[in-house]
Amino acid sequence: MDELKLNAAYVTDSDEDDYVAPQITQFIVVKFGEEQYGIDIKYVDNIVRMQHITRVPKVSNYIKGVINLRGEVVPVMSVRLKMDLADDVETKATRIIILKLEQHCNIGILVDEVKEVVNLEESQIERVSYEAKDDKSNFIYGIGKYDGGLISLLDLNTVALDKEAVS
Amino acid sequence: MDVSQYLEIFIDETKEHLQSLNTQILDLEQDSENADTINEIFRAAHSLKGMAGTMGYKRMQNLTHDMENVFSEVRNGNIKVKANMIDILFQCLDALEEYLDNIQTTADEGTNDNEPLIKALNRILDGDDSGASEEVTAEEPAAREVRSVPGEGAKWTTVVLGDSERTVIQKAMEQGKKVYGLTVYVQESCILKAARAFLVFKAMESLGEIIVSSPSAQDIEDEQFENDFSIFVLSDRTLEDVIAAAESVSEIERAVGGLLDLSQAPTGQAAGTEEPEREEPAAKADMEKDVPVSAPVNLSAAKSERTVSVDPVEKAAEKLEETTTVQETQPASAASSKHEKKAAANKPVVNRTVRVDIEKLDSLMNLVSELIIAKNSLVSISATSSSDASASSAFNEQIEYLESVTTNLHESVMKVRMVPIESVVQKFPRMIRDLQKKLNKKMELYMSGEETELDRTVVDEIGDPLMHLLRNAADHGLESAELRKERGKPATGSIHLDAYQDGNNVIIEVSDDGGGINVAGVKEKAINRGVITPEQAENMSDKDIVNLLFLPSFSTAEKVTDVSGRGVGLDVVKSKIEALSGEVDVKTKFGEGSTWTIRLPLTLAIIQALMVVVGDEKYAISLGSIETIENITGHDIKYVQAKEVINLRGSVIPLIRLDDMLDIRKERGNDDNLVVVIVRKGDKQAGLVVDELIGQQEIVIKSLGKYINKCKFISGATILGDGEVALILDANAMF
Repeated sequence: MDELKLNAAYVTDSDEDDYVAPQITQFIVVKFGEEQYGIDIKYVDNIVRMQHITRVPKVSNYIKGVINLRGEVVPVMSVRLKMDLADDVETKATRIIILKLEQHCNIGILVDEVKEVVNLEESQIERVSYEAKDDKSNFIYGIGKYDGGLISLLDLNTVALDKEAVS
Repeated sequence: MDVSQYLEIFIDETKEHLQSLNTQILDLEQDSENADTINEIFRAAHSLKGMAGTMGYKRMQNLTHDMENVFSEVRNGNIKVKANMIDILFQCLDALEEYLDNIQTTADEGTNDNEPLIKALNRILDGDDSGASEEVTAEEPAAREVRSVPGEGAKWTTVVLGDSERTVIQKAMEQGKKVYGLTVYVQESCILKAARAFLVFKAMESLGEIIVSSPSAQDIEDEQFENDFSIFVLSDRTLEDVIAAAESVSEIERAVGGLLDLSQAPTGQAAGTEEPEREEPAAKADMEKDVPVSAPVNLSAAKSERTVSVDPVEKAAEKLEETTTVQETQPASAASSKHEKKAAANKPVVNRTVRVDIEKLDSLMNLVSELIIAKNSLVSISATSSSDASASSAFNEQIEYLESVTTNLHESVMKVRMVPIESVVQKFPRMIRDLQKKLNKKMELYMSGEETELDRTVVDEIGDPLMHLLRNAADHGLESAELRKERGKPATGSIHLDAYQDGNNVIIEVSDDGGGINVAGVKEKAINRGVITPEQAENMSDKDIVNLLFLPSFSTAEKVTDVSGRGVGLDVVKSKIEALSGEVDVKTKFGEGSTWTIRLPLTLAIIQALMVVVGDEKYAISLGSIETIENITGHDIKYVQAKEVINLRGSVIPLIRLDDMLDIRKERGNDDNLVVVIVRKGDKQAGLVVDELIGQQEIVIKSLGKYINKCKFISGATILGDGEVALILDANAMF
């Protein structure tokens, strides 16, 4: 259902001033290792620096733990571990992006680096067809092309919520 | 008059009245001469009538009016209270509750006239209670039958229809419209019959179109009719609607009608059963047929968009009320937006109000003002902070004061949210009484601790599980009368419902002196179902076997009744209770009875906790579950069944190594001096091995959210003074 929401952003929603093709979606470009990924900005609550993560026992391995975010306890997960990449290495550039996926439901994800914000038009996004076999590919719903290169657009719902099915 | 703003108050008060009526009629059953009870009931019925009348709910008003009449006679001593009267009264209460439910969902009372009930009440009034306990359960279909049986003055069935009229009606029917024949009787005392008839016509026009009337419209205007006239109405509405509209005109005695069936000519019977067949072909008809009565058809067509759901729904008599009420609210007067909102929402409008003691509010006010005082003094201290010594001591003083005030404030607010479980359990005696009749077993419900308080949200949820446990006790637990006699038990089975506070929890126990749980039977059933293998069954303790009952779809009942036996209930009970962070448990003795225990935490967002260190992580354990803290040496640890236990002052307590439970890697140093926190759950104890104690602290519970709910031992997290996050251990979940 939430996938429909993501796609709805690209549904024609006429913008008077924009005589060119509509829908510019903003993405935050992050890096995991050498690859660049894009996160739809409408899900991003805020971005904080790396801080001490309190471990929580007996949870899936990609849940790193919880952090204290101005009085709120927010769980933090590692997208790398979710996608079967190498574990996160904490550097000065590491950030935690707090996402708001559902009502009152915040979750943070660890990223190696936050690069920039890009505006992508519908034409610059190439959809990826879902192959049900490869789990990893389900996290990406498209590829965005811009000057800096290619970014894989993360489908946050599969990234965050899939855990229920997995565990 | 716009009464929608009073709707909430009306619902609240009606609920209260109904509840008190329930209790009092039960009392009356026991003691039928009690003048006080009778007076109370009369007053309640009278109030209900008044309120219903003010809000415009005619049917409710009628029913309560008749009830009030009966009670007035009882009060005057003209009628004695008998068993069947009690039954009928209870049925009336059920009908009223039904109205109330309808009102809650759709702001309209529905169309059930409860005619049989009113008749029964009138019979009592006439002193004819030899009618025994007539089961007037099938009220709705009965009411419909009353309407559509032509015998009772449905003169419309004898009206001869001319050819052109028939064609019109035919075409309309083919298009799926309904044509009703209606005979309207005007009250004999009515003076302006023509005016009344005209009003009826107007009412009909608002619902559809009048095709034919007999006598003719002109004759009716000239008052050329006795006390009745018949009309044929083309409408998309239901028969009930049409009849109700006709009867709602003052001085109309009654209206009788039915769906017109042309094929049976003037003497056509009510086409009640033929409705489904007619609807099918009619619905498929070509909508573009040119009909002489095109105007009304268009009107109906326009309406049909809104009423599309009516046709298929017509088949199911029960669904009638929903659709008709939806339609009735639309032409209703002011505040239609509110009605539509309620009509659209299919979920009942749960009223989220709490009744609060004024005293609680007063203490709340006091504490808040003290808070302000403390804040002010802190502000002044910080403003005039001269020398450090005096300032800091005054500072500390104020901080302490602030601490105590906030604790009290928190307690007060929690108290406000607490509601005694009385509100939930007071409907149980009535339920037991009904069950008694249904199952043909004598049983008595003893309740205690109704004043025990629980958080409001918990109280809402606990009603269903408790009801289920009670029904189980009545159905499965208590044996039949003969069996009881064989076993030497008193003929009346007893079910106990006790509630009390135990430390940080509220315990609710449902016990019966019935047959207990047949462990062997359960075992067998489980093996038969393939839930466990015979080898597993050997190794399982009795307790484990009994816990199998909580599995979904598990039932030892031979057959399914509508009381229980489906195997669904206990599973639901368990999951509901666990959703409230509680537990359910059962103790049973075959032949003697069973006791079901529900344990619920008092919901608190702030708790007193003991901070401990395990490995290098800090954890909090709720103080309520802690019994004592002990220091033990390695020598005290013994092994029983390969598990570590200690012998503490005579009792054997299992040890739980927290570093293992929480996956904390640690070199196990010498076990010379271990700190063990003894926790208690009910009558079980366990010792949690920790590394270090920090101290006692008041902490705020923060939920971990839905992403981290896998770990059963962690019930939440808290933020310590230095910003660190500490996890809260749920001791109960560890053993």
